[in-house]
Amino acid sequence: MLKKHSLPRATTSFVFLILLFIGVGLINSSFLTLQNIMLNLNSSVIYTVVAIGIAFVIITGEIDVSVGATLGISAAICGTMVRDGNPVQGIIIALLVGLFIGLFNGFGVTVLRIPSIIMTLGANGIIRGMIYVYTNGKWIENIPLEFKALAQAKFLGIFTWFYFATLVAMVLIYLYMTRTRTGRYFKAVGDNPNGANLLGIPVVGTKIVAFVLCGLFASIGGIMYVSRVGFITPIAGNGYEMKVIAACVLGGISLTGGVGSVIGATIGAAIMASISRALVFLGFPSDYDNTITGILLIVVVVFDSVLQITSAEKVRRQRLSAKIVHAEISTPEAVENEK
Amino acid sequence: MSDKVHESMLSVRNIFKAFTANIVLKGIDLDLQAGEVLALIGGNGAGKSTLMKILMGIYQPDAGEIYIAGNQVKLSKPSISLSQGIYLVPQEPMLFPNMTVEDNVIMGFKENPKQLRKRLLELMEQLDWRIDLSRKAESLSIAEQQLVELLRGLMRNSRILILDEPTSSLTFNEVKSLFRIVEDLKKKGISIIYITHRLSEVFMIATDVAIMRDGVITLNGPVEQFTEDMLVKGLLPENAKSKKLKQKAEAIDYSNAEPVLTVDKLCGHGFCDVSFSVFPGEILGLAGVVGAGRTELATTIIGRDEVLSGNVFINGRNITGQSTRKVMDNGISYVPEDRFLNGIFKISDVAANSSASNLNNMGHLFMNFNQERELTDHYVNAFRTKVTGRSQEMGSLSGGNQQKVVIGRALAIKPKLLILDEPTRGIDAAARGDVYDIIQGLKAKGLAILLISSDMEEIIELSDRAMSMYCGRINKKFSKNEITQDSLMTAAFGVAEEASNA
Repeated sequence: MLKKHSLPRATTSFVFLILLFIGVGLINSSFLTLQNIMLNLNSSVIYTVVAIGIAFVIITGEIDVSVGATLGISAAICGTMVRDGNPVQGIIIALLVGLFIGLFNGFGVTVLRIPSIIMTLGANGIIRGMIYVYTNGKWIENIPLEFKALAQAKFLGIFTWFYFATLVAMVLIYLYMTRTRTGRYFKAVGDNPNGANLLGIPVVGTKIVAFVLCGLFASIGGIMYVSRVGFITPIAGNGYEMKVIAACVLGGISLTGGVGSVIGATIGAAIMASISRALVFLGFPSDYDNTITGILLIVVVVFDSVLQITSAEKVRRQRLSAKIVHAEISTPEAVENEK
Repeated sequence: MSDKVHESMLSVRNIFKAFTANIVLKGIDLDLQAGEVLALIGGNGAGKSTLMKILMGIYQPDAGEIYIAGNQVKLSKPSISLSQGIYLVPQEPMLFPNMTVEDNVIMGFKENPKQLRKRLLELMEQLDWRIDLSRKAESLSIAEQQLVELLRGLMRNSRILILDEPTSSLTFNEVKSLFRIVEDLKKKGISIIYITHRLSEVFMIATDVAIMRDGVITLNGPVEQFTEDMLVKGLLPENAKSKKLKQKAEAIDYSNAEPVLTVDKLCGHGFCDVSFSVFPGEILGLAGVVGAGRTELATTIIGRDEVLSGNVFINGRNITGQSTRKVMDNGISYVPEDRFLNGIFKISDVAANSSASNLNNMGHLFMNFNQERELTDHYVNAFRTKVTGRSQEMGSLSGGNQQKVVIGRALAIKPKLLILDEPTRGIDAAARGDVYDIIQGLKAKGLAILLISSDMEEIIELSDRAMSMYCGRINKKFSKNEITQDSLMTAAFGVAEEASNA
């Protein structure tokens, strides 16, 4: 990670992922089989989808802690309708709910100027409450087998279709964010909002779009959840916000905005899923999972912030020192002579 | 409409602008021809930035007209100014630090990136500028960042470039290459408004010069018609010569006095080789323009910034490089320049603001609130601060009353030396008089005061001795009877040093 400026952070995260596999594989060799590796990647699909969505928001310099709840309510809505025999309707309504939550958050953050952590924390509470009202606190079970089979369907026998489609979407989004005019606005807005405004870039609009995409991807995650997990509890998706924020940060997306890519988010999500499984292979109880995620998140953020503070202070000092006149060369006569 | 308006690239006529009761621009007329470099000079608060913000569409004028190439225009937002061919290169370039140079330049255009890249390369070829397009903006020096800003402006086919103090953070060599760039642009027929604090630059680069003072243009014409002395006169208030200054106090006899503060060859970030002493019962004025390094000197003395070399003594005791807490314990108190940023706790009450510097002495485990009340009342009464009570929210006080509370707080630690950084900025005339009385009162009680101010009249009225800082160095020291508007202004704008070197 020290080579941050020469290598993109996504690359170092990828190396970290490989080292994780090798390290755990040395202790328990069954972790390092192709089958297990694919199982790890395929099991990271929901983290990946939600992380790609939240990446838009983090890259514009904001945060969204309501993604877990958005996933939960989308899963609950989609789940009940699939159970009752209306899968298409269920998917559409779940997506609309995600879109609406994104609009709500985006509106609050940009137009009402509520700090995004507070706005989405509030949204998180509202949505969690609504899940209980909607489900009466009961589990949603009896999802038809055909719907559950979707998550298991394989492409070329290795990737699940879900994961394969997610990777394709990631590549398309990556191209969109790096190659198109509007796609590049996300980084510009996160990097320097005032500068973006002076160049006529719609700062408010870009942020709202980021929140809407984030909500949409969280609800896609919810739909996948119904198929993969097969039952929905009222607390479905709890803790996903920390997992996906950690995934983004591990993948090199800066919490201050303007830095990172969805490729990094995808790699980060794979790391998150692999850590959970690695614990099992190492014989630790999975109870440690959240603690380790939290530690990783803080370590990476502290590391980044120390780097940032030192480089900012260095720049400030350079600028101040540049202002001092060096008496021997600065007289206009000397300048005239140089000419 | 006069012919001049038709011939000019940019003309502004009779521009007025006021913020609440404060009239900042009082009828500005200005013309700029193609290929002309107009140096715009003025002290702090003269209205230069307001005028530029009006040209950029950030502010709207209250009255007056703006013409571009003979056509009247209404610059209601930044994108309209951009499309009219006006581009401002701010003092601190507004780049995207995490993007490459190329991305920074082409951000915000509608054309496709390949065409833009081609145009950019052609433009750089034409001007013979070299900069690595794949470098990240955060790794660029300020000079290179300015170049990127200029490229942004030129890619938009701007005809009028505004450079806001472009040399203020540049090294000597960078200044030379900037001047070469300005010459290139001049030849291309681009009009430039060049804002600066350094009079010597005017004669090196400008074709025309205009001086602003208190919202009016006091002097305007081709640069050949003027000398540096004439420019300095233009910066002075009209009544400077005739005005009777308040009766000056007797000059202090320093022969037997022991200095409270001695600064010896101090270097820090933003200033170097600064030596001076402050004696008890004296006010030492420190003049200079914003960015000269005065605030950095103060924050270094009080231990917030790093000392690079040199020493600071208080009553003979070396306190170089000690922490702020220790420096304060040794008797130095600092009233910062920007009240809102560093001076006040806005949503706390007056009492909490008064005691904040002295919490160590207010009881051990629990606060001694009686002591806080006494302290607050003492300074509120002594300074005639207008408050509804001790519990009034600090943010709801007027600027002058806030400043009185801040000064009271600085005195609560019973300092031997008080550093006041722009003590009356943004304060109305009546409160200003009160603050002056307070400062004089403190001086009479034997406190040593270092007064940093951009307001020359303030330095003249209060100081027993003065010195001026220019580009990080003390370039002149003044005894009581040498302090005049003329001499201070000359030194603050760097003319003195040149004269002495000539």
